[in-house]
Amino acid sequence: MLKMHNIRKSFRTDTIETHALRDFSLEVKEGEFVSVTGPSGSGKTTFLNIAGLLEPSTDGQYLLDGEDVSNLNDRQRSHLRNEKIGFIFQGFNLIPDLNLFDNIDVPLRYRGFNAKERRKRIEKVLEQVGLSARARHLPAQLSGGQQQRIAIARALAGEPRFLLADEPTGNLDSLMARQVMELLEFVNEWGTTIVMVTHDPDLARRAQRNIQIVDGQVCDLRPVTEQSDAVSA
Amino acid sequence: MFEFKPILSTLWHHKASALLIALQLALTLVIVSNTLLIITDRMEKMARPSGMDIENILTVNFLAIPQDYDMAGAVRADLDMLRALPGVVDATHSHQIPLSGSGSANAFQTQPNQETGGEVANYYRTDPHFIESLGLALVTGRNFTETEMQVLAPNEQRQAPVIIVTRQLADKLFPGEDALGKPLYNGDSPMEIIGIVERHLGAWPEWSKAGNVVFFPALRTTQSMNYLVRTESGERDALFKLLADKLAERDSERVIEVNTLSNHMARSYAVDNMMVKVLSTVGAMLGFIVALGIVGLTSFWINQRTKQIGVRRALGATRTNISRYFLVENSLIAATGIALGAAAALIANQYLVRDYSQPVLTLLPLGICALVILLVSLGAALAPALRAANISPATATRSV
Ligand SMILES: Nc1ncnc2c1ncn2[C@@H]1O[C@H](COP(=O)(O)OP(=O)(O)OP(=O)(O)O)[C@@H](O)[C@H]1O
Ligand SMILES: [Mg+2]
Repeated sequence: MLKMHNIRKSFRTDTIETHALRDFSLEVKEGEFVSVTGPSGSGKTTFLNIAGLLEPSTDGQYLLDGEDVSNLNDRQRSHLRNEKIGFIFQGFNLIPDLNLFDNIDVPLRYRGFNAKERRKRIEKVLEQVGLSARARHLPAQLSGGQQQRIAIARALAGEPRFLLADEPTGNLDSLMARQVMELLEFVNEWGTTIVMVTHDPDLARRAQRNIQIVDGQVCDLRPVTEQSDAVSA
Repeated sequence: MFEFKPILSTLWHHKASALLIALQLALTLVIVSNTLLIITDRMEKMARPSGMDIENILTVNFLAIPQDYDMAGAVRADLDMLRALPGVVDATHSHQIPLSGSGSANAFQTQPNQETGGEVANYYRTDPHFIESLGLALVTGRNFTETEMQVLAPNEQRQAPVIIVTRQLADKLFPGEDALGKPLYNGDSPMEIIGIVERHLGAWPEWSKAGNVVFFPALRTTQSMNYLVRTESGERDALFKLLADKLAERDSERVIEVNTLSNHMARSYAVDNMMVKVLSTVGAMLGFIVALGIVGLTSFWINQRTKQIGVRRALGATRTNISRYFLVENSLIAATGIALGAAAALIANQYLVRDYSQPVLTLLPLGICALVILLVSLGAALAPALRAANISPATATRSV
């Protein structure tokens, strides 16, 4: 599904050059649920941005779904993001002026679906996240957990092959976090590949595989069960 | 694919500022369309043909110093001399200078001793050389002859038996008829129309009856006199100084002022010219201010929505999608403003027509102004909209 080889990403600000990722190689298989942990500033978000085609890498090779996407132009990357990738953010990132229905509609419009198709898909995902009754509400009228479920619905509406989540439970209390996690697990069971960055070791452990990023590199690849001590140490 | 519905719901959440810009555009349309109308009206007025060979005519005004001055003799001698100068086409005397803002007018009727009615017209006392000296076109009839010339004492009131009139006056007094040979009256004795010239704008181009002109074959011997001297094309400025010198040389007992007919005309159109300049400047400045307002508001909204734009990009919006979003948003605001403005402009125009006798605003100039304002508005939004497209999709994950 995702194959990165010797990815490098550096940021140049005035005088300092930060190497956010270096010699970064990783493979994620179709249908996997991978959690990503690591210290703050280690490059987790950078990895997710490159994986999700939000940013190009400085160097290296990236195959998404078997296709080399390292050298695509902006338009091609936008279309790929729209069709193959779903995003879930820590801050939900719903559009405050649009109601929930219209929020989920945003990526579907960019996809070019007709009104009927969009409505069908929106109603379906709203039902999946259990918020059908709130379709005409504004994001501000919902709790954090509900907002994140809408954000997940928005990510799922386009039926992406690949779901990327950057600390999706970071702004939620533990009960809501658990609900969101259960939703993601459910989505994964239906075949969507998920990569989730998290600071929560319990949630990380629930994934099939955990990757630790330290200092811009994949540190270790161990089954989650053996790794729990290392995280708490 | 235009995202009208989501853009409208977003605008609805910012209706105050959107409406403010729409109203600003509306007001601009009201002012600019009515201003344009006044400008074109003035420009058309200034572009009217005068009937005269404006560019090649020198004017001479002189005031005789001696009290017992032989004006008739001076005029004869001066004109003989002027007509003989190389480069001079012809010269005439005239009791007033056309387009100069000073002139004489009187009412002319078709019946003797008529108390009311008729037409008010400028009149000039001149000689048989006036047609050639002004470059007028005689459309029908004949010119004056030397024997028809009357020399009048300063206060003598004697009617000319023959006159030449402009076609405009002839058509007004004798609509649908041939005016040639018909008499005009200003009292009891008839003045026969022996010739009709195509056009002569008279003394005051601003006057509503400008173009009504009567010419008499007469010379009144007052202390002051005017000559109109037509030169060959392009010779005018070279003859300017020579004319003054020759006249002074021939007779130095007078104060002579030489000028050009173009100068006299420019002076009478000075107010119109000024009006056109002031109004165009005001219109352009207004457009500029509105454009600044739009740049400001669009930039402000884009800054406010940086995160949202990043999220849209992350969800698959292309750069084009983002730019188009803001341009469509801008067009919706502009369209609202223009619709309001068009209605208001037509209403405002009704008052201008009624109370200030300004021209009627038709749909074509209104449409042109609306289109220009729409383009200014879109142009102003373009730069911020293109900048918005450069917001990185990574903004969605990076900023808080
Ligand atoms: N746009 C940028 N310009 C310069 N440096 C950046 C930029 N984005 C990230 N970095 C740097 O790259 C490194 C990796 O950042 P990244 O956001 O990927 O870390 P992270 O693992 O997600 O951290 P956190 O757990 O705090 O979210 C950091 O040192 C960060 O300062
Ligand atoms: Mg991060």
